[in-house]
Amino acid sequence: MAKKPQLAIDTRPWRDTANNKPFVRIKNVTKKFGDVSAVHEVSLDIYRSELFCLLGGSGSGKSTLLRMLAGFETPTSGIIEIDGQDMTEVPPYNRPVNMMFQSYALFPHMSVEQNIAYGLKRDHLPKAEIEARVAELLALVKLQDYGKRKPHQLSGGQRQRVALARALAKRPKLLLLDEPLGALDKKLREETQFELVKIQESLGVTFIVVTHDQEEAMTLATRIGVMNQGEIAMIGEPTDVYEYPNSRFVANFIGSTNTVEGTVTEDEPDHVRIHSAELGCDIYVGHGVDCAPDQILWWAIRPEKMILSRERPEGVQGANVATGIVEEIAYLGDISLYQVALEGGKRIRVSQTNSVRGNPDAITWDEKVYVTWDDNAGSVLTV
Amino acid sequence: MTTSHEPTYPPPRRLRPWNAVEKRLAKVGITGRMLVLAAPVIWLLVFFLIPLFVVFGISLTTKQFGRPPYSPLLTTEEGTVQLTLHLNNYIRLFTDNLYVAAYLSSIRIAAIATIITLLIGYPMAYAIARAPGQWRNVLLMLVILPFFTSLLLRVYALTGFMRGNGVINQFLGLFGIEPLVMMQTDFAVYVGLVYTYLPFMILPLYTNLVKLDDSLLEASADLGARPLRTFLTITLPLSLPGIVAGSMLVFIPAIGEFVIPSLLGGPETLMIGRVLWDEFFAATNWPRAAAVACAMLVVVVVPIMLLQRAQNSVVEK
Repeated sequence: MAKKPQLAIDTRPWRDTANNKPFVRIKNVTKKFGDVSAVHEVSLDIYRSELFCLLGGSGSGKSTLLRMLAGFETPTSGIIEIDGQDMTEVPPYNRPVNMMFQSYALFPHMSVEQNIAYGLKRDHLPKAEIEARVAELLALVKLQDYGKRKPHQLSGGQRQRVALARALAKRPKLLLLDEPLGALDKKLREETQFELVKIQESLGVTFIVVTHDQEEAMTLATRIGVMNQGEIAMIGEPTDVYEYPNSRFVANFIGSTNTVEGTVTEDEPDHVRIHSAELGCDIYVGHGVDCAPDQILWWAIRPEKMILSRERPEGVQGANVATGIVEEIAYLGDISLYQVALEGGKRIRVSQTNSVRGNPDAITWDEKVYVTWDDNAGSVLTV
Repeated sequence: MTTSHEPTYPPPRRLRPWNAVEKRLAKVGITGRMLVLAAPVIWLLVFFLIPLFVVFGISLTTKQFGRPPYSPLLTTEEGTVQLTLHLNNYIRLFTDNLYVAAYLSSIRIAAIATIITLLIGYPMAYAIARAPGQWRNVLLMLVILPFFTSLLLRVYALTGFMRGNGVINQFLGLFGIEPLVMMQTDFAVYVGLVYTYLPFMILPLYTNLVKLDDSLLEASADLGARPLRTFLTITLPLSLPGIVAGSMLVFIPAIGEFVIPSLLGGPETLMIGRVLWDEFFAATNWPRAAAVACAMLVVVVVPIMLLQRAQNSVVEK
């Protein structure tokens, strides 16, 4: 959605690691609580002005990693560098980092202005400068008229903006955001997402956002780090993570996916043929894959990458056509989601765009249908 | 058009006698809520408010020999009821230096004891609130433990520590240090007050501090405040209601304290509780004692109201 246009100078330094120095460098970081590793051997490079999303379920270690960046937790082993400086021994109050807390953590006994000025006062800035900066930030988050209010007199969305303004007040090099939109309702969340991106782009601050909401991650991020059980499962741009997942975990975690098991029957440099009993047909993949004949692997395809039809389609090289019966239809307005029981026994989900209004000829329950897909539509996964 | 589709619900089943009782009470306009409130209201009325008025009444009489040892408020003479109010007890309170000095001294001693209790109690409450979960209850239990023995015993035990050949002086004697005079001094009174009232300071402070959101402290550190600054700007202001509550719980009973100054204090330790005792038992001047008590109530109630207002303005968020 919020994919940035490609500029003459590529704004994506992670694509050229040789010429760009990472701004935040996390090297083999492990954090243990007792015997449990919350974060295990994580290495991650984040570049200046990135909006990096750490995405994962609860207990995936994403918040612990963020807290280590802020300095509230010390890594059991490994190194965290920010702007080339080792942060391991630096206490939170000396780090060039600010954090926006999930609960916002606004000081309840201080007004909005005092909350925002708090960090500036700690730097002993002159009073006039603090006042100017506070006014500037209030304007940035559109809360000019709310400076004198106490946090409890604000709505959830306003509190979220105060928290953001307070975190930005000291012009940190790096802003950490823990579930920044988690406490907002859906409508407000969508509005705020774009606002957040806008603020991030206009200020050029590096953002690291922790979220469990994949839609949020896709909308906000320049890159996403998918975390699973304390480890990074995949790092990539939103399109990479969605279209080219590197594992079954990532494929299933982001969006919805049909995953089938199969055996490699042909392994050529330009194509691979996989036989899947579950699917009841062969899968022809139009590019080479690092695998061996007779290897068991998985193939994952998104519901929208498949086409339903009543007549038998041509398929690709005598493959890529499965047969089944429509079991369930979920009409979602813009699309309809079909659950098809294949002859091979597998149930798959296929989505079709409802491009014709009130289509009387739409495929309906209990119809026999053919499912087909492009030779590039799915991902072959070995893990 | 028809209401036949609407389901009919049976009335909620309840115990039969209750229904009857409730109906009958409702007829007279008495609800369950009133009954619940009635118990504490009646209790306070019988055991607090009425006795208070009796005491106030006695304070408006004069001393006389006999039983009771004060003049009656109401006298009937030839069919007329006469109400006699003697205000001289109150006038004496202001004109006799003893009482004014006793009140001021009580307030001073109670205030100093409260401050010392706060200075000792705050770190303890903070430590308990920050202790690991499984330790908190044990530590709280230790704070409450002294209440399992009577106050009198504990104060006597303190004399065992502080008297001339007591534990402390014997210990000091081992190092050849001359025995210190601790008993019958203001010092001993402070020790007794602080020791006795410390739990009353710790408990409300603890309940306040344990609710303190860790993320506020983290946010403060994140914004560049060192631990001491965080304490002064975040923890301390947010714990103000606890400080006020704890200080009230110590200050108010300390003003009227009798046992501790009479057992530990010397002749120069002037506290209103002892004056009251002497008026009542030594001088058998019930009206004067009652006036002292009523005036003390005013002395105590005024700071309570001031503190309550301060607290409300803090709590009001």
